[in-house]
Amino acid sequence: MSSDFKINDLQLKYLELETLLDITHELNSFDQIPVLLQEILIKSCGVLNASSGLILIEDDNSDVLHIGAHFNIDISVLKGLIFNKRKGIISKINESRKALNITIEDDSFLSKTQCKFGLIAPFLDKKNLVGVIILFDKESRKGLSAFLDSDANMLSAIASQASVAYNNIKLIENIKEAKTFNDNVMQSIVTGVFTTNLMGEINHINRAATAIINLEKDLVLGNHFEYVFGSNQFITQLINKCELESITISESQILLECNGRSTTVNISVSPLMNDLGQPIGSVVAMEDLSNLDKLKSTFKKYVSKQIVDQILENEDHLNLGGQELEVTTLFSDIRGFTSMSEKMSPKDVVDSLNEYFDKMIEVVFKHNGTLDKIIGDALMVIYGAPIGSNNDAERALLTAIEMQQKLEELNVVRMTRGQSPLEIGIGLNTGKAISGNIGSKVQMNYTVIGDAVNLSSRLCSFAKAGQIIVSESVFSALKNKSNFAFRELTPIHVKGKEDAVNVFEVAYFKNDSFSSIEEKYDQIEHFLISNLPGHLVYHSIDHIRDVVEKSELYGRLENLSEHKMHLLKTAAWLHDIGYIWDEKAHEARGCQFAKEFLPAWGFAFDEIDAICEMIMATRIPQTPTNLMQEILCDADLDYLGRDDYFMISDRLLMEIRRTNDLNSNDWKKLQLDFFNKHQYYTASANSNRFKGKQINAQKIANKN
Amino acid sequence: MNDFITNVKENNSIVIIETNGYLNNVGGEAVSTLVYEKMAQGKTKFLINMASTKIVNSIGVSILIEIIEKLQEVNGKIGYYNLAPIVAKTFNIMGLTKYSTVYETEEAAVNEL
Repeated sequence: MSSDFKINDLQLKYLELETLLDITHELNSFDQIPVLLQEILIKSCGVLNASSGLILIEDDNSDVLHIGAHFNIDISVLKGLIFNKRKGIISKINESRKALNITIEDDSFLSKTQCKFGLIAPFLDKKNLVGVIILFDKESRKGLSAFLDSDANMLSAIASQASVAYNNIKLIENIKEAKTFNDNVMQSIVTGVFTTNLMGEINHINRAATAIINLEKDLVLGNHFEYVFGSNQFITQLINKCELESITISESQILLECNGRSTTVNISVSPLMNDLGQPIGSVVAMEDLSNLDKLKSTFKKYVSKQIVDQILENEDHLNLGGQELEVTTLFSDIRGFTSMSEKMSPKDVVDSLNEYFDKMIEVVFKHNGTLDKIIGDALMVIYGAPIGSNNDAERALLTAIEMQQKLEELNVVRMTRGQSPLEIGIGLNTGKAISGNIGSKVQMNYTVIGDAVNLSSRLCSFAKAGQIIVSESVFSALKNKSNFAFRELTPIHVKGKEDAVNVFEVAYFKNDSFSSIEEKYDQIEHFLISNLPGHLVYHSIDHIRDVVEKSELYGRLENLSEHKMHLLKTAAWLHDIGYIWDEKAHEARGCQFAKEFLPAWGFAFDEIDAICEMIMATRIPQTPTNLMQEILCDADLDYLGRDDYFMISDRLLMEIRRTNDLNSNDWKKLQLDFFNKHQYYTASANSNRFKGKQINAQKIANKN
Repeated sequence: MNDFITNVKENNSIVIIETNGYLNNVGGEAVSTLVYEKMAQGKTKFLINMASTKIVNSIGVSILIEIIEKLQEVNGKIGYYNLAPIVAKTFNIMGLTKYSTVYETEEAAVNEL
């Protein structure tokens, strides 16, 4: 009986074969390399009676192997050792590519295991060594022994099978890794991408595309693109055309309507090819333009389109973080709106404000201001942030002037509707302020803060209806600009400032294209009264009124047409307006003003030229070249032949003596000389004033 | 008890040995030593719970055969339960199951032994 108990070679061979078959069957069921290696090692040890074992496996991209599996061995003794493919026993197996019986003590590393005998077999990927399996100390009832040649064959067979399984798992891992990488790339890109197969079924789609399509991924995958894009025939036609003709097609600004969501997209459809260049479907890329549009529309609420485009072109210009910038801030406020609104229905209040803000913000954006905030009926506008320029103060003041002028236009419309006119006061200041996104996580707004901003607000409060009040910093920046006129006011005390603050009122021309001719003349007169410097006692509003009156008189006498009368009177009103800005070259400055403002009053360019030529003809010595110019020249010096000459000439002397220390004799000589050189050009002036002029000349000559 | 044998208990005069790890020369020797000690104490029925032994080699099997031979001399028996498929297969190929029994559960083993 006991002989029946002995394990014979046949049984062992049977066991080896069964184990090899098991390994062959099972290896392909593993999908994780560590599990596979451990299973191979355990079974190898078991079937070949090894007391322990070790699998060393490759590190990616290096010649070093690391411990991939171990069985029944203390690996702490191997910790820190580098198993190099090109060194020791591993280099031998790398060369032989077949299982070898080894004596462990010959290998400096493996000898640390305290084992005696070894059997090593390679794991190969094609011809490359990717790992080794090492079994230690063959067991027998007599003790440990070296492995047999038949064991080497068996281990070779196992290692060969294991290599296939290992390489398969590795391949699958690489494919998975590549797929994950591709998926991550696909999911992370903001362009919507999906692919279709030859059947037209969508087989891949990224997150951005599902957002555009407004469908869950699961509801898209596997469905035909015509099912998904049924209501967007243009897109299905693009994909069909791409598939039929194997060409890439791109279209811009396509409105895509999917599942209740409308999105504007740029779309590109390209054929997908396999390695052999055969079509296998299409890839569709959709760029969602709505975010860009949202960004633009969000920005456009605060800055002009021009600034939005500048920001989008170069974000480096954008200063949204906290920093100190020099800015000009503009505050405007409707005067008396609260009491006005108490008499209005809530809807009228809202409608009035919306209409008013529409007009004002249009002006703000025209001058590239940044709309900071609307507070009730007040506006706060920034110049110099988030993008600064070298003319921030100038643009701010141009905005303020145009706001006042636009309001006049709006008021004409309001009055025709029976509504009360609106009046605003505006304050401007330039100075350092902290700019940035300020607020809480819930609501954060771009704004500027600081003393300079506060002063601007105080100046706005100080401004009366129709006034533009600027600080000294704005005045200093713009005083040499010929297109602005300032009048210094009494310094004011503002909250938060110990010393009185110097303030200036800005003279501006009320630009009202809706009013009648007479109303326009009234506006010029009002503008002249408000802005002519007080020291001009001769070139005053009285003189201008006189010239206007005499121009009309001589124009009638000379039988000018109504059209020419209109041009003549306008020239008369404007002939000394240049004194507001530039006394020496006031005629030229008056012409500049006429050219800037008269187009808005409906004057044609040739009419404005005629007006300017009249103004220039009054420059001493007068040089008229046509009747209108002659009339204006005569009107300008009409008083030379009038009884009030000496009263008027006294004012001229006072004005001259402000800058010229003229004595009586000089003055007498100057007058006589002027009288001698002067002539009236028109028959009517000569008829009216020639005699009086001679009398006045005689009186001057007779003076001591 | 060494590392291979993790627990020894008795149930209805049957010595139940729990093993852990490789049933090889070392593991087999640990089991045989214990069994022979228990036999010296008069125990004749042994049951091995091999839930934690996932691999066995022919040396381990041959030691089990030696134990079976010794037990047969005293009309003793040995059985096994909780075998991993590979272990069960090895026992089968090696002829072990001709002279000893593999049980599904401890309860079944205790009832039959």
